Amino acid sequence: MPPRIPCNSCQTQQLFLASLETATSKSVVPSASLAIRSAAQCPSTTSCGNRRVFSTTLAKEARTKPTDKLLLKGKQPTLQKRLFLEWIEKFERFREPSEMNYLSRVIKNWEGQPVAPNQPFPCNPDFRSEPVLSEAAREKIWHAVIKNGMPLKAVSAQYGVDMRRVAAVVRMKEIEKQWEREGKPLAIPYAKAMMKMLPKAELNPGDPPFEPINDIHVHSYTMQQLFVPVSESRHFTREDAAKAFGDHILPPDAKMRIPELVSMEKRIAEGMDARDAQALFIQEAAESERKLAEREQARLRAEEARRIRVQTNRFEFRFEQINAEEVGPTGRARNAVGWRYGVPFYDRRRGEVKIPTKVE
Amino acid sequence: MVVKIRLARFGRTNQPFYNIVVAHARTARNSKPLEVIGTYDPVPKKDPYDPSGKLHKDIKLDITRAKYWVGILEPKYRPGLPPKHKPTVVKD
Repeated sequence: MPPRIPCNSCQTQQLFLASLETATSKSVVPSASLAIRSAAQCPSTTSCGNRRVFSTTLAKEARTKPTDKLLLKGKQPTLQKRLFLEWIEKFERFREPSEMNYLSRVIKNWEGQPVAPNQPFPCNPDFRSEPVLSEAAREKIWHAVIKNGMPLKAVSAQYGVDMRRVAAVVRMKEIEKQWEREGKPLAIPYAKAMMKMLPKAELNPGDPPFEPINDIHVHSYTMQQLFVPVSESRHFTREDAAKAFGDHILPPDAKMRIPELVSMEKRIAEGMDARDAQALFIQEAAESERKLAEREQARLRAEEARRIRVQTNRFEFRFEQINAEEVGPTGRARNAVGWRYGVPFYDRRRGEVKIPTKVE
Repeated sequence: MVVKIRLARFGRTNQPFYNIVVAHARTARNSKPLEVIGTYDPVPKKDPYDPSGKLHKDIKLDITRAKYWVGILEPKYRPGLPPKHKPTVVKD
């Protein structure tokens, strides 16, 4: 174990140094007296002389920049802070947030390998900063859907952006434009600062697709191994396979978000002109969306038919007609009307996510 | 035993929610009733896309069951109807 310096001796030495510095211009007499006193208090002057007993903090502090001094607010910097200040002097670009500015540009990971440019934390290769749609790209999507009246599926296929994201962009843009019309303030400086620091996708023609758009959700029932005896003569299709996994399991063709894309590719493979096939695809996509909208309208109409509105001077009372007998064999069915009896209500359980998952 | 149509308060503090229940009058408020025939949410709500900001309250009710119970209950326990013994005041 290395020999320790008694702390009282160190304090007196520091005091001595400080008094020397302040008193040099005025007179030497008081400091000299202090020096004698400190020498008398230090029991082993010879051992003190061999080692660095004085802290270098003062000198470091003198070297720190005025901005860093502001940062420290007159306090002595801790070791970590001092190391950080030394480091930030080397890498001035990290002092202020500017363009996409990840540490991975200058740092290597523990194996000495350079880090991927989209990895903000050099030691965490699992965290990758994925690109976001730029302001111009979102404007493009909104323009295509609202101004040009393209179906969402076609816009999704054109830009390689998921259909749900296209819908979300259009909704958010509509709200933004409505707020602009109403003169509501927008948090533009915040948005600009965030966008500056993130990787962006511009959705220019020729760019790689932003994300996969026709991925199929894998149901957990289909993850199991299953042995189904089938006669050789039988034509076993994807529909049959889905049915083998469970009655409610859909075949992949029915689960696809944009099945019209597959039929377009099939037509092109059969020798149809690509432009004609694309025009047909847009037509089909528009048709499917029209049908979806019709179904939604019908659902809303049916809901309205079940409802009786009673207007009073303060509130409107909406009576919705339900069937009280749909309570299941135990009377505790999940979709039965009202608060359930004898069943714990988990809305305050730890980790229960209460963020809404859909837009109404 | 007397059967009543009444409300059972569920929900949370400052966030009431009622089951409209048919229950024996002597049983506790939140005890298991004979039947739950609906719900009443007394917290007024706005429509999400209605700029007028008008408030509404949601009531779910099985009207058929409600009519059935009103039909067999004693008249003085019928909600919403004036009791028979109360004299009606006729003004000129």
